[in-house]
Amino acid sequence: MSTMQAIAPGGTAEASRRRRGLAVRLLMSEYLVPGVTVIYFLVMWALVPAIATTETLLDILAAMLPLLVVAIGQTFVLIVAGIDLSAPSILATASVVGASMMTGDGGFALGTGVPVLVGIVAFLAVGLLIGLLNGVCTTRLGMPPFIVTLTTMMFFGGFALFYTSALTEDGSSFGDLPASFVAIGQGTVVGVPYSLGVAGVVMLVAHLVLSRTVFGQWLYAIGRNPRAAAISGVPVRRAVLWAFAISGLCAGIASVLYTGRLETGTPVLGQRILLDIVGGAVIGGVSLFGGQGRVTWTLYGVLFLSVVDKGLQLLGLDLASVFAIKGLVILCAAVLDAVRHRLMLRG
Amino acid sequence: MQVTRRAFTVGALVAAAGSMSVMVKAEGNKTVALLFDSLVSPFWVSGIEIMREKAKAKGWTTLENISNFDDNKQFEQVKAMISRKVDGILIIQTDAKAVIPAIRAANAANIPMVHFNRPPAKSDAYSVAIQADNRKIMQDTVNFMVSQAKQMGGKYKACILIGDLGDVNAIQRRDGFFDVVNKNKDIIDVVARIATEWNADKAFAGLTNAIQANPDINFLVTSSDFLHPQIEQVLKAANKWHKKGEAGHVLFGGFDGDEGAYARLQDGYLDACGVQNLFLEVDMAFGAFEDLWAGKKPDKLLLDPGFVITQDDLMAKRDQMWGYTVWKKMQKG
Repeated sequence: MSTMQAIAPGGTAEASRRRRGLAVRLLMSEYLVPGVTVIYFLVMWALVPAIATTETLLDILAAMLPLLVVAIGQTFVLIVAGIDLSAPSILATASVVGASMMTGDGGFALGTGVPVLVGIVAFLAVGLLIGLLNGVCTTRLGMPPFIVTLTTMMFFGGFALFYTSALTEDGSSFGDLPASFVAIGQGTVVGVPYSLGVAGVVMLVAHLVLSRTVFGQWLYAIGRNPRAAAISGVPVRRAVLWAFAISGLCAGIASVLYTGRLETGTPVLGQRILLDIVGGAVIGGVSLFGGQGRVTWTLYGVLFLSVVDKGLQLLGLDLASVFAIKGLVILCAAVLDAVRHRLMLRG
Repeated sequence: MQVTRRAFTVGALVAAAGSMSVMVKAEGNKTVALLFDSLVSPFWVSGIEIMREKAKAKGWTTLENISNFDDNKQFEQVKAMISRKVDGILIIQTDAKAVIPAIRAANAANIPMVHFNRPPAKSDAYSVAIQADNRKIMQDTVNFMVSQAKQMGGKYKACILIGDLGDVNAIQRRDGFFDVVNKNKDIIDVVARIATEWNADKAFAGLTNAIQANPDINFLVTSSDFLHPQIEQVLKAANKWHKKGEAGHVLFGGFDGDEGAYARLQDGYLDACGVQNLFLEVDMAFGAFEDLWAGKKPDKLLLDPGFVITQDDLMAKRDQMWGYTVWKKMQKG
């Protein structure tokens, strides 16, 4: 017969204190989100064993890489207490402009002999230029990042649609992209996607910039207190401008990966993933108030969202259940994050 | 044996998860994935309900995913269904070209893919598409309206609400309309072409402007019935919302066959509606799966001939109209 073990009152207090200490350490740990991801994965594994197959794990990896790249760009802006709502429209604009250069259906750069190279440069240039525009409006005109990027999101979202309808026969998208370009988004070496190399380089460079350079330290200082940073000699306006430019550039790189993956330059690319971009960074621990954030935290947040998504896709439930479960899971993560911040403030 | 509270909790969680696993795995004979890009109109909501019912009747299990117009997410959903080793994937994609990698992935996994209502772009990948014969159905609808116009006599100023030109269905419906009106230029003059992009607000604004510019519009065709509420509102404001037989009636034609179209036909405001035979389309899609499982290779495009329903034959044909089924449910609810 089974019985619950009785514990002496003195021991209860000691055990309870120990448990509380363990819970606090767990909550304060930067590995909290990966931990939650593992728990979610294990629960899903019990429900849908297919989630643990090599094929599915590689799918999760391939799916999260473009999102990770664009979320890393967002991390730079969040660290300076800004926000870049235009990221989805940068994805779309870069996708259609880049694809229009190299599409087999009359691409502008077909005659150059290096259409893929021209196309990729176009992707990156579009991202960088829109990022710079956001940065200039924010720093030189003193406009709030929310308003600036909201309006550029609307303008470039419309521009991408106009550009596509003006240049394609069916008005919907650019197809027939070169195989060498498509390979960037779809190709693998021994089952490992090429896009992992691209995302890995972006991650490494971003990590080094944030943790090992003066520019990185400027960004954190600006995020914590821009006035104090300015008094200390930090070129606040220049640094913020480049944070937005980096965000745009990362969106341009992510657009290359998404467009290659879909073999299509589409004006609606990424229009529904703004929440995942910002959410991925914030769930990982990057602060919306600035001054806090790491590339690895963004990686954890994006991984968490990607695993949640894949689990729900595999379950194949109706829409209402998916919304309810996803909302609940993200709410749990947000509550844990709020508790963690409260504990952090208490010291 | 002593069981601590922690051991009990962990054990209970594992047992619960294990039993759910058994529940999820308890599947029927075949498992089919229904991948929609949205459920934003009654057509799609009715479509998925009919699919669930018909699949259940066949003893199949359905898994569902909605991509919310995100091509990349839909591609991931296809891959997830491949991992689940489903027996068939029914997909309604947003973009005809962006779905091609998904078809290739399904081909590689040897899982049949059927596109519902929207065919993919041409490619070397193999899949079967079920689509309404939009152009023919629209031609038949407008032909009926023209015959009515000829009976009543006089000249007509026509207006068409066109859908999103990125959607092949919208293009075919537009072409079906012009096929007929261009042959009847002696009595019909098209004075307004409204690009709605399948957006109700744009339809409302566009039609308002068109009626202001051409107050004598008396022949109106919409490429989808989901725009009826906006059309009714604009015509009422312009004092042009009258039943057939009443003075000032605008000859009005619809397309799809939703519950609003049924109600307006019954009430006498709508003259004709081109109906996509949703029941038949689901049967055709499921039939394609059965053919593919049997090793047959159906044509890449299978057409639903649809039909035109009018006030005159409403009672005889309404049981084939999916909107009537929805309307009946709404009356009961």
